[in-house]
Amino acid sequence: MSKRRPYVRSMDGWWKRDAYFVKYMAREVTAVFVAAYAVVLLVGLVRLAQGQAAYEGWLAALKSPLSLVFHLVLLATFVYHTWSWFNIMPKTMPIMFVGGKRVQPGMITGAGLAAAVVACLAVLLIVRGVAS
Amino acid sequence: MEVYKADVAIVGAGGGGLRAAIAVAEADPTLKIALISKVYPMRSHTVAAEGGAAGVTRPDDSLEYHFNDTVHGGDWLCEQDVVEYFVAHSHEEMVQMEHWGCPWSRKDDGHVNVRAFGGMKIERTWFAADKTGFHMLHTLFQTSIKYPSIKRFDEYFCSDLMVEDGRCQGVLAIQIATGEFTLIEAKAVIIATGGAGRVFRENTNGGIVTGDGMALAYRHGVPLRDMEFMQYHPTCMPGTGLLFTEACRGEGGFLLNKDGYRYLQDYGLGPAEPSPRNKAMELGPRDRLSQAFWHEKRKGRTVEGPHGAVVNLDLRHLGAAKLHERLPLICELAEEFLGVDPAHTPIPVLPAVHYTMGGILADGKTASSLPGLYSVGECSSVGIHGANRLGSNSLTELIVFGKVAGVEAAKFARSVSISNPAAIEKQAEAARTRALDVVTQSRGKERLAVLRTEMAQSMENGCGIYRLESDMQATCDKLRELRERYRNLKIDDHSKVYNTEWLLSIELGYLLEVAEAIVHSALNRKESRGSHQRLDGFEERDDVNYLKHSLAYYTGDGPPRIEYGDVKITKSTPGTRAYGAAGEEAEAAEREREGAGND
Amino acid sequence: MTDTEKVIEIQVLRYRPEQETEPVLQSFKVPFTDDMSVLQGLQYIKDYLDGTVSFRWSCRMAICGSCGMMIDGKPKLSCKTFLREYYPAGLRIEALAHMPIERDLIVDAGDFITKLESIKPYIIPKEPRTLEQGEYLQTPQQRDMYEQFSSCINCMLCYAACPQYGLDKTFTGPGVLALMHRYNADSRDGASAERMDLGYAHEGFWGCTAVGYCSVVCPKGVDPANAINQNKMNSAINYFTRFVTPKGGTK
Repeated sequence: MSKRRPYVRSMDGWWKRDAYFVKYMAREVTAVFVAAYAVVLLVGLVRLAQGQAAYEGWLAALKSPLSLVFHLVLLATFVYHTWSWFNIMPKTMPIMFVGGKRVQPGMITGAGLAAAVVACLAVLLIVRGVAS
Repeated sequence: MEVYKADVAIVGAGGGGLRAAIAVAEADPTLKIALISKVYPMRSHTVAAEGGAAGVTRPDDSLEYHFNDTVHGGDWLCEQDVVEYFVAHSHEEMVQMEHWGCPWSRKDDGHVNVRAFGGMKIERTWFAADKTGFHMLHTLFQTSIKYPSIKRFDEYFCSDLMVEDGRCQGVLAIQIATGEFTLIEAKAVIIATGGAGRVFRENTNGGIVTGDGMALAYRHGVPLRDMEFMQYHPTCMPGTGLLFTEACRGEGGFLLNKDGYRYLQDYGLGPAEPSPRNKAMELGPRDRLSQAFWHEKRKGRTVEGPHGAVVNLDLRHLGAAKLHERLPLICELAEEFLGVDPAHTPIPVLPAVHYTMGGILADGKTASSLPGLYSVGECSSVGIHGANRLGSNSLTELIVFGKVAGVEAAKFARSVSISNPAAIEKQAEAARTRALDVVTQSRGKERLAVLRTEMAQSMENGCGIYRLESDMQATCDKLRELRERYRNLKIDDHSKVYNTEWLLSIELGYLLEVAEAIVHSALNRKESRGSHQRLDGFEERDDVNYLKHSLAYYTGDGPPRIEYGDVKITKSTPGTRAYGAAGEEAEAAEREREGAGND
Repeated sequence: MTDTEKVIEIQVLRYRPEQETEPVLQSFKVPFTDDMSVLQGLQYIKDYLDGTVSFRWSCRMAICGSCGMMIDGKPKLSCKTFLREYYPAGLRIEALAHMPIERDLIVDAGDFITKLESIKPYIIPKEPRTLEQGEYLQTPQQRDMYEQFSSCINCMLCYAACPQYGLDKTFTGPGVLALMHRYNADSRDGASAERMDLGYAHEGFWGCTAVGYCSVVCPKGVDPANAINQNKMNSAINYFTRFVTPKGGTK
């Protein structure tokens, strides 16, 4: 009879075993914050539909110190989310050639981050334009 | 005991075994194939071949050139009819590999590219960067999955051949995971277990290259042919012996001594030119280059490193871009193992044992002297390498003769049936007991690793690049002693599941016997030819007495009996073996002679 | 020479199914030199300290794929990981994660092999060709499209790095999906549609959650995460285009 008895190790707490997994989990968790902000905006939209008073109440709530802190936390998580996703972006792209040379992963990440910064600045400028 | 009934059993699933399995499957899909390997197929040592595989390809090349290069390179100890078959079928087999998906390196127009290799007159070496063996092995392994008639026995260790009624009718194998035995009955058996480089201390070979198939055939009376011819590869890593491919020189690398001088020009390989010239200098054959190293060391012109004398393999002038395109594995090995970037620093190298030219006696159709038993690849001596193999001929050998072995074994299997299953099973029981005895009967105090180390050191002392009778005799005596001590092993492991110590001790038995065949063949060959060079009064080639194959026969506990066999000459009579400018002169003289003869 | 006097502590996770019910650590003191690999350390243990310690190895040059193991928790090839990197703290060696331990440092590779066999890892030609017609033409750039993915040595480090595989054994996993992509991306092959039925299933490309660690630990730069996620893109495009193209998709 076979004396084989393969031993299967537990996966409990797997994400704590390696710093890489912790970072991965952090990236995944930041998605929750993105979703949370979407909910905040959605509430704004609902309040807008309910009339001017409701909408201004929502705006006022946004200006509370607690909300400001919440937004700062959101901003931090968004920056990490953006950074981590553009970091993984080269893994999602087909192999590309420009002028016969293969495009390096760093180029793709760099281009993505640059695009994100430009988009943010553009939005800021538009908001500023509308505000003034 | 579990019994599996196959038509063809193949032992070893490297390039040769896989190619043979596919050939059987294509020849007759109704034949049941058992493909037995002590490792998963992609771990087989074919994986480590780097430079490439030869096949006449360019319009300025010819079969005759490839034939001449091979026969001259082998110092006329080749079976010339077999070489003719080999060169004629190389190209189509390379194309077959291409159709199966092998990622050959290409020219810009999409055709397969070829590179220069040592001892080859024209560029004809197909390559997949510097991982040719790796890509060929994985291509063959993955292609073999297509054929349902191939049943693999992965991680099954072959412990004996079943010989009944004067023919080979199966093998006994140990399932490594359980330690249980399986008898694989087969009407034909192909051995494709690779070489025996691990009998030497400093070698390029993987730990699995232990001469298993050679020893098994040998024990059953099949002679081992030309075993004294062990190839030292001139450019290996100090300490580990890991290989830096000949393609380094094919791409234009230089060999420099401690003064930065291209010393090969002092050994009949010149003139030294800035770019590589075929069959000259760094593109000379391996035996000559390794011998030149030995002389440089004697003259004190080598560099002293932590692992002894080395010379420098200089690739700097090739530039980083070319190095990373053509020699990525070499760059990786140099950087990770030695901390050397070949684009900026020369790589320290020395010769190490690389290839077993001899092997199981086989005719041009891979059949041994035992009916039903075939062999292919490094374990086999089909006769194309003679006294010195040219780089890039062995990968091609795997596929050309792998196919032949498959076709021939299939033909034989269809013509016979298993003659006496009860007797075979009885034999298997006896073989099982013998295999188990290695552990159960070992209550001695000899440590496996000590014996192995003493053997490897003694082989290096006696059967190195240059040989002396007294050293060889000392090695013969040492091996006698080791075979005695081998009965007295101390084995720590008495378990069944993955008992690797048990398998290592069986392997040591194989190694010791193959080592004896090597040194006794060497001692008896009183001449110098190819990789067998003597310094004790037999410095010259002696065609009168030794244009012969040595044949080592097993005699049980005693030393092997050495006999001699004829060499098949078809169109190339032994001449001067010369390289560089001298080689070109010799070639011109030969042409003139032939021209005069034709008038 | 002081170099040879250095001694390092190697802890090996032992599991002998005939002896232990669960794995235990055993410590060995190994003399070493700076050019010695972790594999050589293990060989020293087996040769001189304890012949029962079991592990797979062969080529010693990072091409046969046998000697993958967890070294201080990271999946690595022991032949090209050096003891000096762990001195003086010492190191801990375990069998590759996420696979059942057969014995000591040997894992059960059966699941990996079965998966590899299941994805038709061979050329199914777009246009069949006879040997007389010679080789298929393939430009260096066409070769570049799959060459990297053909460099996988089947060492399974990526499986030990993939928590998805650890959690769900039905996931095909990084190495095998990269191999599938290797054949799909080969200009000579015409069977990507056939293979993709498996690839698009839940256990195929979509089983991957883009952890990306597989590509980090790969000793051969295969980048399986890239192979997988490229195909998610293809899969998504295929999914949406099947609504707008008349014959249901572009595959």
